[in-house]
Amino acid sequence: MNKRIIKQLFKKEMLDVLRDKKTVLMMVVVPLIIYPLIMVLSMSVMSAVTQDMAKSTYNVAIGGEYRNEYVKLLEETESQEYSFEIKLSDGMEDDLQSGEIDIYITAEDVLGKETVSVYYLSASTKSSYALNMILDKIDERAQAKTNDILDEAGLDSDVVLNPISINYYDHSTAEESTGSLLGSILPFMLVVSILMGTMYPAIDTTSGEKERGTLETVLTLPVTSQELIFSKFLAVGLFGIASALLNIISMCGVMAYMFNMMESLGASAFGNFEISKFIPPMLIGVLCVFAFAIFVSALSMCVCAFAKSYKEANNYITPVSLVVMLASFISFIPGIELTKNMALVPVANLCLLLRDLLVFKFNYLNILLVLVSNIIYGIIAVLILGKIYNSESIMFGDGQSGIQIFEKRSNMKKGGVPTLGDCGFVVVLMALVYLYVGSSLQMKLGTMGLVTSQLLFIVVPLVVTLYSKKSVKDTFNFNPCKFKKLIGGALVGVGTIAWSLVISAISATIFRDSAKASEQSLEGYLPDSFLLGVLVVAVTPAICEEIFFRGYVFSALRGKLKITTAIILSATLFGIFHMSLAKLLTTAFLGGVIAYVGYKSKSIFPGMVIHFLNNTLSCIALYHPVWLVKTVWFFNMRTVGERLLSTIFVIIVALVLPKIGLVLLKDKEAQHNL
Amino acid sequence: MEKILVANNLVKTFEKNEKKQKKVEFNAVDNISISVGAGEIVGILGPNGAGKTTLLRMLGMLMQPTSGSISMSVGGYESNDVSKIKANIGYLSGNTKLYGRLSTRELLEILGKIYGLSNDEIKIRIENISNILNLGEFIDNRIEKLSTGQTQRASISRCLIHNPLLYIFDEPTLGLDIISSNSIIEFMKNERENGKTVLYSTHYMEEAEYLCDRIVLLDKGRIIAEGTLSELSELTGKDKLRDIFNYLIKEVE
Repeated sequence: MNKRIIKQLFKKEMLDVLRDKKTVLMMVVVPLIIYPLIMVLSMSVMSAVTQDMAKSTYNVAIGGEYRNEYVKLLEETESQEYSFEIKLSDGMEDDLQSGEIDIYITAEDVLGKETVSVYYLSASTKSSYALNMILDKIDERAQAKTNDILDEAGLDSDVVLNPISINYYDHSTAEESTGSLLGSILPFMLVVSILMGTMYPAIDTTSGEKERGTLETVLTLPVTSQELIFSKFLAVGLFGIASALLNIISMCGVMAYMFNMMESLGASAFGNFEISKFIPPMLIGVLCVFAFAIFVSALSMCVCAFAKSYKEANNYITPVSLVVMLASFISFIPGIELTKNMALVPVANLCLLLRDLLVFKFNYLNILLVLVSNIIYGIIAVLILGKIYNSESIMFGDGQSGIQIFEKRSNMKKGGVPTLGDCGFVVVLMALVYLYVGSSLQMKLGTMGLVTSQLLFIVVPLVVTLYSKKSVKDTFNFNPCKFKKLIGGALVGVGTIAWSLVISAISATIFRDSAKASEQSLEGYLPDSFLLGVLVVAVTPAICEEIFFRGYVFSALRGKLKITTAIILSATLFGIFHMSLAKLLTTAFLGGVIAYVGYKSKSIFPGMVIHFLNNTLSCIALYHPVWLVKTVWFFNMRTVGERLLSTIFVIIVALVLPKIGLVLLKDKEAQHNL
Repeated sequence: MEKILVANNLVKTFEKNEKKQKKVEFNAVDNISISVGAGEIVGILGPNGAGKTTLLRMLGMLMQPTSGSISMSVGGYESNDVSKIKANIGYLSGNTKLYGRLSTRELLEILGKIYGLSNDEIKIRIENISNILNLGEFIDNRIEKLSTGQTQRASISRCLIHNPLLYIFDEPTLGLDIISSNSIIEFMKNERENGKTVLYSTHYMEEAEYLCDRIVLLDKGRIIAEGTLSELSELTGKDKLRDIFNYLIKEVE
């Protein structure tokens, strides 16, 4: 790479981006304005609420035989914040409706017990406030009554009512309590604003350049694609860091201002506060934030580089940024700690680290892990970006991978497979449908819900495919296949299962908690009979999930991407949809193999056989675990000889059977064509 | 005549998605060999989809050929180094737009430095180019504020900054008014007098007739005829390039 060229390209990118109003607005103005704005707003809302309370007079109507006691009770109230306007009457329900009174109570003797009925409007804020005040008063009266009764019986009311007294000693320093408060909200805001800050430069330098037609101009220059990407990445990364810095500065400014004000007001909650104590965690945090900013820059550039235009890039980056935001929400969840595993999860690791840093939790290994993993993710993203910029089909492509289903139906071309954009949309839609509709179906209907939620995997893609006039046969790979291929699929399946047992054993030890949770998740919904269980756990998913993952998703990916990329992507999605860390690797592996089988056999059906076999095995394990271990002898090995034998057996199953299976799957016609 | 650019057996294969999710491969450029001599204007003609743009993109080193070789004679030496060839080509097409938020001068300065010119050289070149193309009045304005004709002149200035040996223009007059397209045609003519070489594609027959020393006719990724206007008319027995073109295209089908 040539420094002179990179410098010039970088200068060009910087000039180009900095002269774009939108970017500058998102990067500079938003962070500088948004924090003070949030502060001013929240303060004015708070003061408005307290002012409103201060002026309030609640209209109370009191009825019933004990009315006089209650009038006395309320009249004794001495508060600067509110007062009661009392009416004496019965049957005031109508006035409550019309708003003339805020609350109506009757106090009567029912079967020798003083009974208060409270009529109020839960929909009205004022009435709800009044209810709270009245309840406090009733409590007061009840307390007094209890005391009287106990005194009469000659007991010490304080000892009886409060047999244990508790003293609280909060050893958190003022810095720590402030830190934990900030720790939940600050990471989230930081992530979001860094995302906003890098998004526009990322779109501008990648798809923006394509849309404006300047990309081909750059390609005419004696510049290598590495130089081009590096300079672009340098520019966007710098914007990411700058926006992070601006955010931090603006946030610190607002915080300093607030602390000053609190101190001058003599707020005791913050006690003796020393900002200097925040400096060491801040510095480490800033370093990690910078690494994160670089990662986010590279990530958003990767996503945008596929797009031909601003609009398309926005389509792609929106789901990605939603996922990033969702992941950053993790700092609001109290139970989750920054463990070694967690330190490797992008976005979440930074948020958890920042939260820890703000309460002075230093674990240098975790800090290092977060820093290094962010840098590595950044490098991976840059490498992918390099691939994209070397791919002529993406650089000069026709950009037909956009979301087509939002176009006019009459403009849609008949036949073929869905576009990448459509596929992305359907995957997101399916995830939402499955998460909300599917899980509520499961909860309401139990076993039937399990089946119907599986059916969603057919319905959603089928509806979209028919609507967008795509070929159902091609999209779902519904090509008839010979019996020989089904046998081939079964053989590959048996080998795959052997491998996946190994993988699942490994991942179950890594993610122990998750493994347990996923085991329990099914238990409540399973039918009692084993055969029904097979139907629910094995047959339905083998049909429905196959139609979605190896049908719709895989076909769409294959239409545009290289076969390996398509297999890996569809397999990863398949793994993620199972929503369990422990199962992720195993299911992804299974998904990858089935996708490959679908690709080789040119039909979806052999894959269904594999899926069915795999799930049947886990079904047996669920219903008859003891029988399974007894019958399948290599699960139950004792002596060295047995172990050796079983190892050889497993190797044969895992290596030889798939080989034979793949031979059976091969298309004779295809061989002739080659 | 000294050959400045020589390309042998160029093939460019694209994947096309047809029905049945099969990827169909087709050759946008199918085994084309072409050479351009110093100081000539060569016109590439052909119907839409003939492979003109793909061919020019490969010759301009924007795209990598699937197979075949390209070499350029730079200062008496044969070279097939991408950067070196690019540094001696001025490439212009409808897709090579300019950075709207920069001024023409800024753009030329940045490009000059990328091409490895010194600051003084850049200053002199900008001065020269500004005189040739009459950029003076708008050279410091943002490019997005320029009129179509001015933008076109700025675009040409971009191809001039590094004083290339060869210009490759892909339909440079497409969609321009008469005045703008005339200025480009005159520019090409002048550059030929300065000893420069021009390789360009067009849809306008009269323009090619008027300008080109040699014409290459392309259809379906192959060269169907090649030669001077008189050679082509001898071959087909027609006078006008338009008739020659129609005759040859029909013959292929």
